[in-house]
Amino acid sequence: MNNAPDQSSKAAPSAAEDAIEGPPDLELVARAQAGDTQAFNVLVTRYRSRAFSMTYNMVRNEQDAWDLAQDGFLKAWKSIGRFRGQSSFYTWLYRILMNVSIDWLRKKQIEGGIEFDDQIGLRNIEPGAVTTPRGELQPAAKLSDQEIRIRIDAAIERLSVEHRTVIIMREIDGLEYSEIAGQVGCSIGTVMSRLFYARKKLQSMLRDVYESI
Amino acid sequence: MKAFEEQFTAWVDGQLAGEELAAFERELASRPDALAERAAAEKLRALLRRQPTAPSLSNPDFFSLQLLQRIEAGQPKAPRGPGRASSPWFWSLPRLAMAGAACLLVALVLFRATIPSSKPTPSGAPYFAQVIESWPADESLSATTLYTPEDNVTVLWIDGLDSVPAEYAIQ
Repeated sequence: MNNAPDQSSKAAPSAAEDAIEGPPDLELVARAQAGDTQAFNVLVTRYRSRAFSMTYNMVRNEQDAWDLAQDGFLKAWKSIGRFRGQSSFYTWLYRILMNVSIDWLRKKQIEGGIEFDDQIGLRNIEPGAVTTPRGELQPAAKLSDQEIRIRIDAAIERLSVEHRTVIIMREIDGLEYSEIAGQVGCSIGTVMSRLFYARKKLQSMLRDVYESI
Repeated sequence: MKAFEEQFTAWVDGQLAGEELAAFERELASRPDALAERAAAEKLRALLRRQPTAPSLSNPDFFSLQLLQRIEAGQPKAPRGPGRASSPWFWSLPRLAMAGAACLLVALVLFRATIPSSKPTPSGAPYFAQVIESWPADESLSATTLYTPEDNVTVLWIDGLDSVPAEYAIQ
């Protein structure tokens, strides 16, 4: 059973090329499995913008997102022979891209000695409390799109890999709990728990932003 | 029994129903901020979904071309550490330094092999001249060089000439 439905119906296309016409994905995949690089190139053209957006949302850096999207496609090409059509091509690609991004973030965390503060905004909050932390609350002011983007980038960068992953998958890509669990390889309960804390942290960092627009 | 965090997340996302929903909402009756918390979560979600944080892919055709080249080359791009921007230029600083050192070494070897040493020759002259080949019309003619260290002068000595032809005479 496919527990990862077609992402392409959820993630908003970020470029017109995502609507590229041509043979259906499965036909292109079959040709790619036979070694047809041009067929694979059509798939790349079809999904490159979405792949880039997805990796960007994870790593928050254009150059790294470009490289990771390329690495994801390259891995997809190398393992295309193992694709059996049990999910859509993009769902399969999405998992590869997510794994590439998570591996990169973990490596960065280790090499850079970065420690994400899992207690951001959660200090002095009882586990069962539902009150939104009020840290970093600024007076409401109209923020430009650019300022909002910077604030969101900064906030997501402060999340741990696990929290960042579930937030991106749930809040931006719109996946169901079971889909996230399947992609990440953990239980649904863990996904829900991570979402709880990740939201708390983001609320503490972005409250003035979403209250001002 | 789900933990509070799990139930709360499901409640915020509208995933609770029936008896589970009723039981949880009874529990929330003692938490006056619960509704505000859910509203905040919804605002956060709206912010994250509405705000196009990801920039569009710049130069998508180059993206495809580069990927296709990597696929056709059959080898992955040189591994790089996270956080370090990859350079599209082959000549990194260490490579440039290595190439420069190699060029210098080759130049030194060529210089030593082709340029005569300035050390004095066995005859004592810092420079020497030698007739390597000559094509005399008369086989009795021969040419040699003679160096005099006192005057530091090299003389071209031609044996067998009776007299210098008039056209070679110094005017």
